[in-house]
Amino acid sequence: MADLNEATRLQKETTLQKLLRRPEMGAFVVMIVIIVALAIASDGKAFNPLGLKNNIAIIAQYGIIATGAAALMIAGEFDLSIGSMIGFAGMSMAMMLKWGLPFGLGEASPAMAFFITLAMTLGIGWMIGMIVVRSGLSSFIVTLAFLFFLRGVTEVCFRLINQSTQISGLPDFKLESWFANLMGGEVFGWFYDLWFMLGGNLNRRGEQWVTGFDARFLWWIIIAGAAYFILSRTQIGNWIYATGDNKEAARANGVPVDKVKVGLFMFTAFCATIFAACQVYDTNTSDAAKGNLMELFAIAIAVVGGTLMTGGFGSIIGVVFGAITVGLVANAVFFIPAIDGAWFRVFLGGILLAAVFANERIRKRITGGI
Amino acid sequence: MAEPYLRVENLVKRFGPFTALGGVDLEVYPGEVHCLLGDNGAGKSTLIKTLSGVHQPTEGKIYIEGKPVTFRSPRDASAAGIGTVYQDLALNPLMSVTRNFFMGRELTGPLGSLRMAEMNKIAHDEMLKIGIDFSDPTQAVGTMSGGQRQTLAIARAIHFGAKVLILDEPTSALGQRQQMGVLKTIKRVRARGDIAIIFITHNEIHSRLVGDRYTFLALGKSIGAGTAAEIGDKEMRRLMSGGAEMGDLKAELDAI
Repeated sequence: MADLNEATRLQKETTLQKLLRRPEMGAFVVMIVIIVALAIASDGKAFNPLGLKNNIAIIAQYGIIATGAAALMIAGEFDLSIGSMIGFAGMSMAMMLKWGLPFGLGEASPAMAFFITLAMTLGIGWMIGMIVVRSGLSSFIVTLAFLFFLRGVTEVCFRLINQSTQISGLPDFKLESWFANLMGGEVFGWFYDLWFMLGGNLNRRGEQWVTGFDARFLWWIIIAGAAYFILSRTQIGNWIYATGDNKEAARANGVPVDKVKVGLFMFTAFCATIFAACQVYDTNTSDAAKGNLMELFAIAIAVVGGTLMTGGFGSIIGVVFGAITVGLVANAVFFIPAIDGAWFRVFLGGILLAAVFANERIRKRITGGI
Repeated sequence: MAEPYLRVENLVKRFGPFTALGGVDLEVYPGEVHCLLGDNGAGKSTLIKTLSGVHQPTEGKIYIEGKPVTFRSPRDASAAGIGTVYQDLALNPLMSVTRNFFMGRELTGPLGSLRMAEMNKIAHDEMLKIGIDFSDPTQAVGTMSGGQRQTLAIARAIHFGAKVLILDEPTSALGQRQQMGVLKTIKRVRARGDIAIIFITHNEIHSRLVGDRYTFLALGKSIGAGTAAEIGDKEMRRLMSGGAEMGDLKAELDAI
């Protein structure tokens, strides 16, 4: 009894046990199940060269915005304006590309259109963050206001300047502008080249079929990789977790809580802008409904990936798994024509609910059941 | 022993018409535990909040090593070596021991990356010095007992340069065994000899067990003070009950 102290009561865990307790474990298992099920149900078509490219395209889209949403949720806030921000950013870029720079300043290059738009979206993100931290209002309500506001502004601008709520038939900027190619072109061509050299990746005439992934795949890797590094390995990451866990404790220890939050609202705006830029430069079109409901998908994926609704806990790796799962299921209808596309939402609702319960269990285990 | 590290002279704090502190004197020496006792509403909280820079005194002076100081914010007080461990401890339950230990004062390398191995080692060693051998500093604070959390908060305050450690009722809301753990921690910090401790408590036994010097507050005023030798058990009990005699209290109750 004498040598028994409180530290000895904590069981030593093996590496495997620790792995099983990680927050992203649930998302990982679900992802594996979906990958296997989809491969069987689609007769392998979902992962043939074109199937893989198309799946990665939608997964990367979800992944980009879910990373932003998850980082913000870890700090204890929501952003419901992501979807409208995508619409606004897409409108802004396409409009400049078609009608030139504002105030008659001449033609807009793809890079100029992007950076002017980014300056605006970061400004709006900063403003949303400042309103939330200064007023102390719930970010739910403040960003809901911006959901309507930005969508409205997008439509009004379209009708006022363009007379129509969509822009199509822009020239293919990818062909001349390296910047447009960076956003909307293809990446990792070597992967498909290698596949071709190894005897696969053939079309019906026996030529190379697919030449590369969409550029947004690279952007997703960059954004998720940077977010992972920052959250788990840096001082700012420690501040983000501290802010979401117990704001007052963080403040008492000198963490600049408000700056952290404002910065993260700007980060979600950045993710939405990258999402929009990839879309605009890939398809050379834009319309006022782009990004609709994306804020909710982003939050759902973050939760499926193990992020707590109450903040302070979550992992970018889990969000990667979540994005893969949700992206594959969203796309499944193209590979299994027999199923109704609406089953996707049934599935999403189901795993979202399951994930919330699982996350709550994790939180209780960590905090000792309170 | 000649020079108190912290001295408070005739401290008055008024909130509008309400006088929370009506002129309190206090002397705190390094290597000593100074117990601050008193009933609810006696002014203990106001006194420590004034000492830790949350409130500014209406009148009176605070001296550190004989020099008068003014704290405009908790940051000022912390820079002057006053480390306050509040009842809520300012900890984040979902985060690891190390991340809590260095919260807001992380050790960073290139690109703001955390020097995690080094931080783990410091957190472990600092906690070992005052009594807990925490084998795994990567575990979440939420899994620790109340006593262990106290120790973490105390170790953190000391590591970041506290010369006066203010402990706000560290033994309340804990079980017997954990209370003893916290008292042991207090003893170990005292044994270092360079840190002065202000121990706020309701508990007569706890204060008897570790205290070197006592100040009793009632209704915002000091009603008695002295060293452990000067204050006997009987006197202590009288002062604990706000200066009333046991007989008087009994008479008060019997009147009903």
